[in-house]
Amino acid sequence: MSSYEPKLVCFSCKFGWGYLNTEEALAKQIKNWVPIICSGKVDSSHILTAFRQGADGVLILGCRGGDCHYQDGNYEAKKRVYLLHKVLESYGIESERLRIELSIDPEGNKIPQLVKEMSDRIAKLGPVKKVGEPAKAVAVV
Amino acid sequence: MADKPKVAICWLGGCGGCDEAVVDINEVLLRVANATDLVLWPVALDFKYDHIEAMSDGEIVLSIINGNVRNSDQEEIAKLLRKKSQLVLAFGACACFGGTPGLANFTTKEDIFNWVYRDAPTVVNPEGKYPQPKSRVNGKELTLPKFYEHVFALNQVINVDYYLPGCPPPPYLVMNAVSAVLEGKLPPKGSTLSPRRALCDTCPRNKTKPSRIALRDIKRIHEVEADPDSCFLAQGILCLGAATRGGCGESCISINIPCRGCFGPVDGVVDSGAKFLSALASIIDAEDDEEMKKVIDKIDDPAGYCYRFSLPVSLLRGKRS
Ligand code: SF4
Ligand code: SF4
Repeated sequence: MSSYEPKLVCFSCKFGWGYLNTEEALAKQIKNWVPIICSGKVDSSHILTAFRQGADGVLILGCRGGDCHYQDGNYEAKKRVYLLHKVLESYGIESERLRIELSIDPEGNKIPQLVKEMSDRIAKLGPVKKVGEPAKAVAVV
Repeated sequence: MADKPKVAICWLGGCGGCDEAVVDINEVLLRVANATDLVLWPVALDFKYDHIEAMSDGEIVLSIINGNVRNSDQEEIAKLLRKKSQLVLAFGACACFGGTPGLANFTTKEDIFNWVYRDAPTVVNPEGKYPQPKSRVNGKELTLPKFYEHVFALNQVINVDYYLPGCPPPPYLVMNAVSAVLEGKLPPKGSTLSPRRALCDTCPRNKTKPSRIALRDIKRIHEVEADPDSCFLAQGILCLGAATRGGCGESCISINIPCRGCFGPVDGVVDSGAKFLSALASIIDAEDDEEMKKVIDKIDDPAGYCYRFSLPVSLLRGKRS
C-alpha cells in the first residue's frame, strides 16, 4: 500500500487557474493535467472515460461562483459532478474520487497542492476496483 | 431448397419478446420462410444445435441473434453461430447493448446468488445449496452452464456485422433489415439498421419544447398526469429522447410514456447515458447548492435510469467489487 500512488486527472479552467504562469512550467509539476477553457466544457463522458482508462480520481478546478467567463459554465460543472457522484456510486466508485473546486489562482501554484491533497485522500481508498473483462471476440469467418 | 440462403434465428439471454417481434412481421414472415431456408429458430421450430455444428463454416448466410450473454451456454451458441455464418445481426437492445437484463451489472454475481438462493423471503434452502456448474447425483455427473460475473452485449463476445436496436425492434425495421439482406442492399458492416438521428428529431412533441428548459422539480411518470402533447422534459419528466437513436416509431411517446432509451446511442456516441447525464444536469435550475441537491436527489436511481438498456456497453460497464 505504501508505494501506491493514485493516478489523478486534473482539469482546470484557464480563465481562473494559472493564467499568469506558463503551461509548460505547470505541466512539469502536475501529471495528467488538462488545462481547458471553462470547467463547463468537461462533459460527463470525459470524466467517465478518465475512470475507464484507469484514473483513481478526477479533480476539476473551475472559476469562483459568479465569475464564469461564459456566465455559468462552472455552475453547470458543479451540477454535473453532483449528479455523477450518484452514478459513480452505482458503479462501486466512491464519490470522493470526483471533486470540483471553484476558486481562483492566477499563478496556478495551488494546482499541484490540490492534486497532492486529493491524491493523499485517495491513497487511503486504494485503486479503483476492476470490472471483469469480457470474453475475447472470435474472428469473423 | 439447396439454393435458398440459410438463415438462423436464435435467442440467448433474452425474454422472447424479440422472437415475438419476428412473428409480428405477419404474412411477410411467410415470404421470408419461402425465400430462405430456416435452419434454426429454437422458439418456433425444432432444430438441433448438432445440425448447426455439422454445417461448414459460413454456410449460414445470416444469423439473427437476440438476447445478451451471461452464461457459458449462451457464449458457446453465439460462437458456434458466428463460425457458421457469413453475417451476424444483433437483434434487439439485449444483443446490441445488454438490454434491461444488463442492469444486473450494477449488482455482483455473489449478491445475485445470495438473494436468489438464500435471502429472498420465499426461499427455503436449509442446506444452503447453490447451483454448481458440476455436481454428482447417483454416481452421475450433471452439468449446468457457468454463470458469468457480468452480462455481456453480443459484440463483447463475438464480432457483429449489423445492429438492429429496440426492445423489441419494430416490425417495419425488421422487414427493412430482412429485405436488405435478401436483396443484397446492406450498408457498410458495423452499421445500425435504423435512422442515425436522435428521437427528439422526429418526436411530435419537440415543437413544444422551449429553447431553454429550467427544471426546479423532477417528477416520475406515475406521479403525474402527463400532458399528452407537450415535451416530457419540459414537464419535468425524464425522457431520454435527446440521447437516444430514433426509429422506434415513437411507440412509447404516443401512449404518453417517456423514452427509456431502448434504441441506444446515436451514431458516433459510445455512452448515451453519459450524454443524457450532461444534458440533464444542464437543465436543472436552482438558486443555490442546497436547492440544486434537492432537485437532483429527487431523481430515483439516476444510473439505472440513464443506463436502463445499455449498462454493459457503457464506459464503465458494471459494478466494481
Ligand atoms: S431486447 Fe427487449 S424484447 Fe428483446 S429480448 Fe431483450 S428484453 Fe426481450
Ligand atoms: S425529450 Fe422526449 S418528449 Fe421531448 S421532444 Fe424529445 S423525445 Fe419528445
